[in-house]
Amino acid sequence: MVFTVDCDVHVNDTPGALAPYCDLPWRHSLEDLDGANYPYLQIPGFAPNFRLDPPIRGMHPYRSVNTAREMREELTEIGVDVGILFPDHLLLFAAIPHPEYALFLSRAYNRWLLDRWLRDEPGLYGALLACPQDPEGSARDIEEFAREDRIVAIYLPTAGVNPLWGHRRYDPIFAAAEAADLPVVLHSVTIVSPVFPCQLEQFENHFARQMLGHSFAMMANLVSIMHTGVPARFPNLRIVFTEAGIAWAPYMKWRLDKYYHEYRRMVPVLERRPSEYMSERIWVSTQPIEEPDDPNHLVETIRHIGEDRVVFASDWPHHDFDHPRALLRLPMPQDLKRKIMGENALRVFTRIPAPSAVGADSEERA
Amino acid sequence: MAEHVIGTIDDFPPGSSRLVKVRNVEIGVFNVGGTLYALPNICPHQAGPLCEGTVNGTMICNAATEWKHQWVRDGEFLTCPWHGIEFEIATGRALANPRLRVRQYPISVDQGLVKITL
Ligand code: FES
Repeated sequence: MVFTVDCDVHVNDTPGALAPYCDLPWRHSLEDLDGANYPYLQIPGFAPNFRLDPPIRGMHPYRSVNTAREMREELTEIGVDVGILFPDHLLLFAAIPHPEYALFLSRAYNRWLLDRWLRDEPGLYGALLACPQDPEGSARDIEEFAREDRIVAIYLPTAGVNPLWGHRRYDPIFAAAEAADLPVVLHSVTIVSPVFPCQLEQFENHFARQMLGHSFAMMANLVSIMHTGVPARFPNLRIVFTEAGIAWAPYMKWRLDKYYHEYRRMVPVLERRPSEYMSERIWVSTQPIEEPDDPNHLVETIRHIGEDRVVFASDWPHHDFDHPRALLRLPMPQDLKRKIMGENALRVFTRIPAPSAVGADSEERA
Repeated sequence: MAEHVIGTIDDFPPGSSRLVKVRNVEIGVFNVGGTLYALPNICPHQAGPLCEGTVNGTMICNAATEWKHQWVRDGEFLTCPWHGIEFEIATGRALANPRLRVRQYPISVDQGLVKITL
């Protein structure tokens, strides 16, 4: 078996579940949202989104995971040794406009994550939710919560974030992540929101919005962090881009380099080509992995990004999750499979113990 | 390989840049702070007329400048007129890409005469 680290799995973060972990006065808001039967990613003041499409019969059902035990069992079932947990509804966290409420809510999520998901089950690790609405407050929280061993990353909510993550207002968050030696993980979701690059309202259906929501978010935020020199100004910061597949990455890498030639004097903060920062401190996670007719083209694409730069993610339990076999069946050598499935992730998420220790965990479970 | 006289030292004062032709080869001659450099008028990027570009300083921004922009080393960089790539005249190196480098012709001054070896 190939040791498998899954860099993106999702926990069901309902307002009612988080309410006991939220301080007053905003706890009442979560209590009042509790029990309402809102659809996925459609909760006022919690996961704000426009619902534009009529239902069409035959769509696959929505799945969620509600306990750490369930998560452990389901990940084991699909062959995942280690999972890094991200929220469900709070994927839309950055679209919440109220800074004080947002900070309270992020704190509630982080407490709940530590208390309900990261205590008992082996092989589950967490990404702290950062709060772009209040970067200083968020940085203080990161400093505090990062002391917990099971926290292995900082999640940067990316759907609807405005301004984009390269803005200098977020420097305190990057500084806190760097000081804690934790990578930041950008994760988006399809959102219709009145901010660049997610103004997707003109498309007739979710098929079209899904094409661009995640990928535009990743491209725009990569450009954003490059043009203000985040990788140069935070020279030890590790940055992971998730949930847009991988094929956008070579395109952006080559395009950034192409125009760096011409416009270097505008971005002197980058003292080397953008691709050089990318090949040292930026990683891309696999899901939703592209499925070209000729799988060799995908392997070639992985090589364009770099064999050390690609990390496996399933996105379990979401509708477009990838089973590990989507990668394992690719025509590539075993050592490259081992890198993508787990070894690369251990270099990014350095707090996750090496496979031998995790192997012991699996045996205990058996 | 032979030495070719292209003028006297007075033809190439500090800060000057001139295009000369030696055996039908176009060569840019630059005097940077009293030192002469001779570069082919062909950009290593897409073969644009490199030496017809302007000579400038450049912008930097790093920890040493406390992340503020600073204009430095005026007169030391040649900008290709086609896509704007900046080359350090003294080394021929493109600032944006260490793999991109323009070669240099040997240039010397002998009894007031400027000579290029080609
Ligand atoms: S040809 Fe000189 S910069 Fe492109």
